Amino acid sequence: MAKILETTNLVFNGKLYYPDISINRGSIVFIQGPSGSGKSTFLRLINNMVSPSEGKILYNDVDIEKLDSIGLRRKIILAGQSIYLFNDTIRNNFIQFHKYRETQSPKDREIKEYLNACCIDFSMGISCENLSGGEKQRIFLAIALSFKPETLLLDEPTSALDSSTADCVMTNIVDYCKQSGITLIVVSHDTTLADKYGEQIINFGGIENEWNSFY
Amino acid sequence: MSGIVSISIQRFFVIYLLLSIVLVIMKKSNIDQTRLLFVASMRMTVQLVIAGFILTYILKNPHPAFTIGYLVAMIAFAIHRVLSKNKELNLRFKIAIGASLSVSGIAVVLFFVIAIVNQNIFNPQYTIPLSGMISGNAMTGVNLGTKTFREIVDSERSKIETLLNFGAKPQHILLPFVNQALETAILPTLNSMVGMGIVSLPGMMTGQILSGTLPTTAILYQIAIMIAICTVVCLSVFGSLYFGYQTLYNNRNQINYLL
Repeated sequence: MAKILETTNLVFNGKLYYPDISINRGSIVFIQGPSGSGKSTFLRLINNMVSPSEGKILYNDVDIEKLDSIGLRRKIILAGQSIYLFNDTIRNNFIQFHKYRETQSPKDREIKEYLNACCIDFSMGISCENLSGGEKQRIFLAIALSFKPETLLLDEPTSALDSSTADCVMTNIVDYCKQSGITLIVVSHDTTLADKYGEQIINFGGIENEWNSFY
Repeated sequence: MSGIVSISIQRFFVIYLLLSIVLVIMKKSNIDQTRLLFVASMRMTVQLVIAGFILTYILKNPHPAFTIGYLVAMIAFAIHRVLSKNKELNLRFKIAIGASLSVSGIAVVLFFVIAIVNQNIFNPQYTIPLSGMISGNAMTGVNLGTKTFREIVDSERSKIETLLNFGAKPQHILLPFVNQALETAILPTLNSMVGMGIVSLPGMMTGQILSGTLPTTAILYQIAIMIAICTVVCLSVFGSLYFGYQTLYNNRNQINYLL
């Protein structure tokens, strides 16, 4: 399989030192490691929300610092840990996010499919304001899927879900990514999910940083 | 019409008695700002006494250098006040605020004195008081606009972060916040225009009438100054925030939250 992402000698802020990583197109990758080991920062480096202080990230063999950052983020979608939804209906959330991205919002039928993929089976007309944390998290993931990314980065996507819902959501998302050829990179504390779905598991446990060098 | 009656110094001091009412109410309401009330009253008194002496000297000995000096000092003070309340802003944002306040303030003063009053710009009798009103209001507007903008950016971090992660352009995310802050900053001026003449007789008009000017002349000045104030507030806040918000992200479209 062709490589989609490759990092070499990556350092962030002179504090976080990353091992060299190579990820194949269309693979399912889990990233694990203790708090503060730089997992979330790694995702932010990949979609160029932050830049490395040293080293390179190659996406499709091109240094991402040479690519248009907005274009890159439209291909590499990051669904971060803090969930944001507009105080509006589920349908209008899809419409608003697509409007910000200057893309056509999916039709109702497609929205329904994305919601189903994230184990949501209620009406698109209900407001997101009164939903539970877990329901919001699943709608947030469904919106991320609707952008049809090349690579999908998920930061703790099941943190607000019980284990059976988490399993349902991950099964569907992994299936969807496999069918669509999307590369999926997930940061998760949940080793069961990583063992079950991860084709490649990267552990940041041993990476050097300013803090654990004290111990 | 007769000229204004001078207030004797003894009678003038009686006005300070009114502050004791404020003090009593503040004590009763547990408002712990007695020190501020004292400091504010003292500063106002000292600053105005000094301004009175300086203005008396300048009006008696008019010179372009004095007028320009006073104008520059007023604008510099306005910029200093805004920046001291927004210390966290980055240097380029501060420059945007300084430039917007200076350019819009000077442009509106020039237009007012030359085109409306039809006086020499170096005539201190017109340029200095009009500049004071214009720069003072611009300062309040920019303060309010910048504070509102910072509060919105602070409270909407999760929205900003999510939209950037999803591939939105920083301009599309931040520009609505600029518009919202501009609206907040300009509303008090618009509201005061609505109530003018009915709810209140504004300061400039009151001053002119007290000193013997015909009310029909005084209202022309008042209307003109209100329009000038509205314009300078709008221009200076728009300039500060429009050029300022662009300093929050770099050419990689990465946001620096340390405003």
